[in-house]
Amino acid sequence: MRAQVGVLGLIIGLVGAVSGVVFLGLGIRFREHVHVVWGRRAVFVMLGGAVLAVIAMEWALLTHDYTIKYVAENNARATPLLFTVTGLWAALQGSILLWALILSGYITFMAVRFRKRLDDRLVQWALVVALSVAVFFFLFMIIAANPFKLVSGATPADGTGPNPLLQNHPLMAFHPPMLYLGFVGMTVPFAFAMAALITGRFGEGWLEDTRRTTLIAWGFLTVGIILGAWWSYEVLGWGGYWGWDPVENASLLPWLTATAFIHSVIVQERRGMLRVWNLSLVIATFCLTILGTFLTRSGVINSVHAFTESSIGPWLLTFLGICAGAGLALIAWRADELHAPGRIDSPISRESAFLANNLLFTGLAFIILLGTVFPLIAEALTGNQLSVGGPYFDRMTTPVGLVLLFIMAAAPALPWRAASGDVLRRRLLVPAYIGASVMLLTIVLWTRDVETVIAFGLAAFAFSAIVRETWVAVRSRRRADSTNSVLALRRTVAGNPRRYGGLVVHTGVLCIAVALAAAGSFGSKHEVQLDHGKSATVDGYHVTFKGVHSERSGQKATVSVELGIHKGGRSLGTYAPALSTYPNSATAIATPSVHTGLFEDLYLTLVSSPNQRGRVTVGVARNSMTLWIWLGGAIMAIGTAIALTPTKRRRRSPDLEPDDDVDDELAEMAESEVPA
Amino acid sequence: MSRRAWAWFGLGVLVVGVLAVALWPRGHESTAARAHRLETEIKCVDCESLSVADSETDTARAARADILERVRHGESDATIRQAYVDRFGQSVLLKPATNGIGLLVWALPVGLLIVGAGGIVLALRRWQRQPRMKATEADEELVERTRAELTKGRKT
Amino acid sequence: MKHPLRWVALGVAIIVAAFAVVLAANVGKDPNADARTSKLTGKPAPAFTVEALNGEQISLASLRGKTVIVNFWNTWCLPCQNELPALQSWYAAHRSDPSIVMLGIVRDDTDAAVRDYVKTQKIPWTVAFDRGSKTALDFGTRGQPETYAISPDGVIVGSILSEVTPSILDQMVAVAQGT
Repeated sequence: MRAQVGVLGLIIGLVGAVSGVVFLGLGIRFREHVHVVWGRRAVFVMLGGAVLAVIAMEWALLTHDYTIKYVAENNARATPLLFTVTGLWAALQGSILLWALILSGYITFMAVRFRKRLDDRLVQWALVVALSVAVFFFLFMIIAANPFKLVSGATPADGTGPNPLLQNHPLMAFHPPMLYLGFVGMTVPFAFAMAALITGRFGEGWLEDTRRTTLIAWGFLTVGIILGAWWSYEVLGWGGYWGWDPVENASLLPWLTATAFIHSVIVQERRGMLRVWNLSLVIATFCLTILGTFLTRSGVINSVHAFTESSIGPWLLTFLGICAGAGLALIAWRADELHAPGRIDSPISRESAFLANNLLFTGLAFIILLGTVFPLIAEALTGNQLSVGGPYFDRMTTPVGLVLLFIMAAAPALPWRAASGDVLRRRLLVPAYIGASVMLLTIVLWTRDVETVIAFGLAAFAFSAIVRETWVAVRSRRRADSTNSVLALRRTVAGNPRRYGGLVVHTGVLCIAVALAAAGSFGSKHEVQLDHGKSATVDGYHVTFKGVHSERSGQKATVSVELGIHKGGRSLGTYAPALSTYPNSATAIATPSVHTGLFEDLYLTLVSSPNQRGRVTVGVARNSMTLWIWLGGAIMAIGTAIALTPTKRRRRSPDLEPDDDVDDELAEMAESEVPA
Repeated sequence: MSRRAWAWFGLGVLVVGVLAVALWPRGHESTAARAHRLETEIKCVDCESLSVADSETDTARAARADILERVRHGESDATIRQAYVDRFGQSVLLKPATNGIGLLVWALPVGLLIVGAGGIVLALRRWQRQPRMKATEADEELVERTRAELTKGRKT
Repeated sequence: MKHPLRWVALGVAIIVAAFAVVLAANVGKDPNADARTSKLTGKPAPAFTVEALNGEQISLASLRGKTVIVNFWNTWCLPCQNELPALQSWYAAHRSDPSIVMLGIVRDDTDAAVRDYVKTQKIPWTVAFDRGSKTALDFGTRGQPETYAISPDGVIVGSILSEVTPSILDQMVAVAQGT
């Protein structure tokens, strides 16, 4: 029953999407409103179908309906409730279903948001493109990756349960959905970009229409990636948060091009330039989300994450080819009309900084893409297998990252059009000195590693520049409105949320940059063998083996050891790293136990369970500044939210758009009137 | 030099000085450090993409012990890497070798960045050569008037 | 064509197409296929010394002049358990041949479990412990079960990096003995 309802939902979704395309197509061709209205209704039908299918799947999971193959493979009677619900996205077919649901949601959002502009050909074509993508996903599910496929033969009494790694931590509930909200969201700007090319309206209109959605999708993608890193650290137990695993890389690629896009969009808004570049960037971002899905699902490259099925590959690859091909063809067709007459006046200006930003982000994306697929290329060309792993990516991306850090520090202080030496000195000299001093401090106090020294210095430079910019603006606002600093701060931010939200996001990036640099240079890893009741001291931490605990819950057999941790005489608590075994997996899964400190984590793992004499081997690692990655991620999310708030018009000048130039001018003028 | 120039010059000196200290060649890499560096370059064959430095499987631990012993015996980096390639194939190295096709993966990104940067520089030059628009008297006047209006508005 | 942008688009299209072809050619191929045969085939077998169940130290040098079949295994690996009957039957057929030695090397397992398993399964050939997985590493094993054939003059002549069958063993011995 549930399987039939589910398939019905899929079919309704497909019918909705197809009829949406047909009706809107007719509306475009014959310019009759009634077709467009039906097209819009079809969108809701599609959403209904997707929701129905998801409800059917969750219903099947919650009732342990093992007639459905997907449920039998990803759920067991003993699976806890949370992981039964998250079973929806535990494996391939279910995650495509989630993708289709989220896509339907975004398209419905488009149809509602632009309901007053449904006769606008740009909106019509955008909906057609987005609905075509939906058609693909529904068709893909019905034909190649049906989540509601029935078990062949007898219905099993119990399912095999989800992959053990996927039922270890509540993060499973958040990481994939956040990531998909990000990936799928990129379909909207893609649809509008294609519509812009088709209709010939490649001015700034489509940018303005999609600005918020792109930023929201980018925000989700950022959070999704950070959550993935957190999961890797807290759950997988190998002690790191980023392994340059092909699937991790695949999620980072669209994020990089989307970040470049968010910045270069500003240049197009102000100067009308970079039209072709922006169109290409957003099309590339969308294609990269599909490529990422392909790499994850097709088994082409080995990965911790990959859940694979061999018929999936050709479908996704074909779709990728169609999207990339259509995008390139449209650009080639419109080539004559795309050139904009803008120019950049000076190499030292915010526009140039954004150009450099784009070059470097694209460069990063290229490095990571090349490194990820190079084993395939090398094998195709020479027949030999080779690997490209962490050391390559670290070596190549670190210098680019450092230059980006520098640009991020300088750019918000650079004026548009051209910077005079005076302005540069006023805005950047003191922050630069602070940065250089921090570099000196780092060498004296901590480490001589050149990359860490530069990273710390640049982070200090960037942070000082951000503080200075904000402080100057707040101070002039405070004087102008004669209020206190807090209110002035709120008004300043509300007056230009894009800029200040962006500065907050940059601050989050700084935290992450500092954490990455520190992790590379500081920290240590040790192993100690402990008998019951005995202690060992590792780098100032006193570790006592207090007890062993064995537990069977459902399918899991877990052995955990209790460790008391003391530092400097003070107790830090009891931590319990564990080893778990599942019946359908030969290897044991290590669950780490982490003491999170402000500047240092103590990362405890159980390397081997107690031997005959009751001795255990415990891994004790010190990880530097890991907390700052999660903090940085949270700050980035807050900054994105700030940037999305609507601009409050200033009381005195209701027609003025918030303009950094004017803000700065006024602030400097107010500043220069204060008696020295 | 003007005071302003001295300020920048001082900054330059400070930065260059610090970098020089950081980059100054230090003594020999310790045995442990060298072993650790090599461990990050050898793939753990039991795992997906972890190095033997990060992995906790039996094979990884054996490899770490083996590498440490070889480093203690004074074997060179190249010899140690070759020993692993001999047994596990080229794909055991996480950092592709620069001879042969591996060179592409190192050279292409650098090439792309250089070409991109060059393109931007050329475009900037082209734009610089285009005649600049000059503001007329009327334009300047308009700007002054607006500025005055804005400051007035803010102060009341 | 005319406009330069069209040339750029064409260039990008060609690169993307080539890339897609590479990806397409690899769909369905097993990325671990590299690990089917040993890289040491034809090279001298690495010297090793392992401790047999009875405490005796067995070195490769002491086995020179004989054809040695080395089988890497342990008690918890399912394919190892699957191939045991094949090994047993093959060994029973060849145990009276003095020119052939069979050596089972265990790694990543506990002594107690191994002794127990050997007793209950009545494994007649020599079983030895690879302490610290050193020998497994020297042979370039990626897991278990793996079986290697070493000729009388100490060269690895054949290997199978998965479950072994009697016919494969026969082939390997034939190559080792030059017949």
